[in-house]
Amino acid sequence: MTPHLKGLLERLDRIGRFAEDVALVSLLSGMILLAVGQIGLRELLGTGIVWADELVKLMVLWLAMIGSIAACRDNRHIRIDVFSHILPARLILAARIVVDIFAATVCAIIAWQAYRYLQLEIEFADVVLVDTPAWLAHSVVPIAFALSAYRFLILVFRHIGDLIAGNSPVIR
Amino acid sequence: MIVASVLLILLAVFGAPLFAVIATSAMLGFRRDDIDLMNMAIEVQSIADLPFLAAIPLFTFAGYLLSESNAPQRLVRLTGAILGWLPGGLALVALAACAFFTAFTGASGVTIIALGAILYPALQHDGYPDKFNLGLVTSSGSLGLLFAPSLPLILYGVIAEVSIDNLFLAGIIPGLVMLVMLSGWSLWVNRGNRQAPGSFSLRKVRAALRESMWEIPLPFVVLGGIYSGFFAVSEAAAVTALYVLVVEVVILREISLRELPRIMRASMVLVGGILIILGVSLASTNYMIGANIPQALLEFVSGLVTSQVSFLVLLLLFLLVLGAILDIFSAIVLVVPLILPIAAEYGIHDVHLGIVFLAAMQLGYLTPPVGLNLFIASYRFEKSIMHVYSATFPFLVILMLSVILITFWPDLSLWLVPQS
Repeated sequence: MTPHLKGLLERLDRIGRFAEDVALVSLLSGMILLAVGQIGLRELLGTGIVWADELVKLMVLWLAMIGSIAACRDNRHIRIDVFSHILPARLILAARIVVDIFAATVCAIIAWQAYRYLQLEIEFADVVLVDTPAWLAHSVVPIAFALSAYRFLILVFRHIGDLIAGNSPVIR
Repeated sequence: MIVASVLLILLAVFGAPLFAVIATSAMLGFRRDDIDLMNMAIEVQSIADLPFLAAIPLFTFAGYLLSESNAPQRLVRLTGAILGWLPGGLALVALAACAFFTAFTGASGVTIIALGAILYPALQHDGYPDKFNLGLVTSSGSLGLLFAPSLPLILYGVIAEVSIDNLFLAGIIPGLVMLVMLSGWSLWVNRGNRQAPGSFSLRKVRAALRESMWEIPLPFVVLGGIYSGFFAVSEAAAVTALYVLVVEVVILREISLRELPRIMRASMVLVGGILIILGVSLASTNYMIGANIPQALLEFVSGLVTSQVSFLVLLLLFLLVLGAILDIFSAIVLVVPLILPIAAEYGIHDVHLGIVFLAAMQLGYLTPPVGLNLFIASYRFEKSIMHVYSATFPFLVILMLSVILITFWPDLSLWLVPQS
């Protein structure tokens, strides 16, 4: 890998991590404030924001999707881990190359299907939250799966690099 | 078809992310039935249609915050002041503190790391045998799963469309049964370890209470708020998150503002990992229901067993195997929709089913090959996995007995639940 490309990838990694953190922090804080504010309005003033509950639910979707991208980056997705404590590290690394290529492919397929569905939503002009275009609220799904596919590919390259260099990193 | 299934299972056991495996099996099903793959996206989006789901990220965040603050130490000191003077008291302290902490942190291994690190050396210091301590700390890491507001309880309620309030009530007695049985065992094992019982000091209790005065209202906020009808589960979660945030960051200042993004990220990584499995499982469940698989399963099961008791035996065996390979969250979203209709056919209350399901899954934390607690403890305390396993085994047996009791005595779960 050329130093130039490596530098670029590292910069992308930093920007990506920062963007995830900003998104997660603002979504989580927003959700807490919105939900607590809704209780306050109801108990004190006997009123409430009509679209607040729907917005909280959409925020859960966004948190789930962005959290899932972050889980890819931190390599913390839930896996059945039968062999990684028994087999030799290099064999595990080889297996991880195969399964992460598989994961990248699956994510790419779902991203593509979600993109197709998004186009349908644009066509039918679906709305959420009174008058927000539904595709905007749901755009996080194809984006998250596309980024996850990218993250799994990066993982694959890292595994290959480790395998060639003879590293046997602790995968857990 | 069989080839594809075998391939998928191989991919899964060699460490493919579970969500990718489940999504693939759903999409293969869609393709076979000429259903547009776009449905996969629609199902994932429907995460936003499920009620109460906001409780999961909010409680998880609150739990992570608590575990990063000094609340674990305070909790140990408080239970120590109340129970520690009894003979064998420290073992009881460990069990009670872990159960309480796990209820709030959702049984994700945090308990062993946060509390085990304090309790294990303390037990050692008081002369309890090493193997006992290791087993105790390891098995306590998932104790408390049945107490509100644990994440698995909430997730079961969302998936099974069962009242989460009722589940919270239903878990209390079975959870206490587990706690009491493990306590009894701990006292029995250490009957020879005669230490002069400490003396109960009201002053110590008062000091510990004062120290924990900010955390003590938490269970009351959560449960009191829900049962007084003051707020829904997801609202209770939001209040809890805000309360813990204010207490630990602003009042006690044990967590700096600068650390918050890291903690938020860590908790949301866990949430993302769980909810993405939930999303793709919605697709696979819908496919399976469309393909009448629950019906076929019911016919299969009714060919095997006829009575409710024999069904429960079969269910329990199945759950023990399931728990040994799948983590509790994946198991709930994947399997509950399939066994719910079958259990109903045998007259099993959906709340009781939930408690049995989670209680059996709790054993999965301690059984190889995938038992999460075994690995965390082995890693944390630098013991070989076989050593941890043999240390945990007696506790596993006790827990198994309690699960059998909980399974075949439905009233334990249903006694506190209002009959509708």
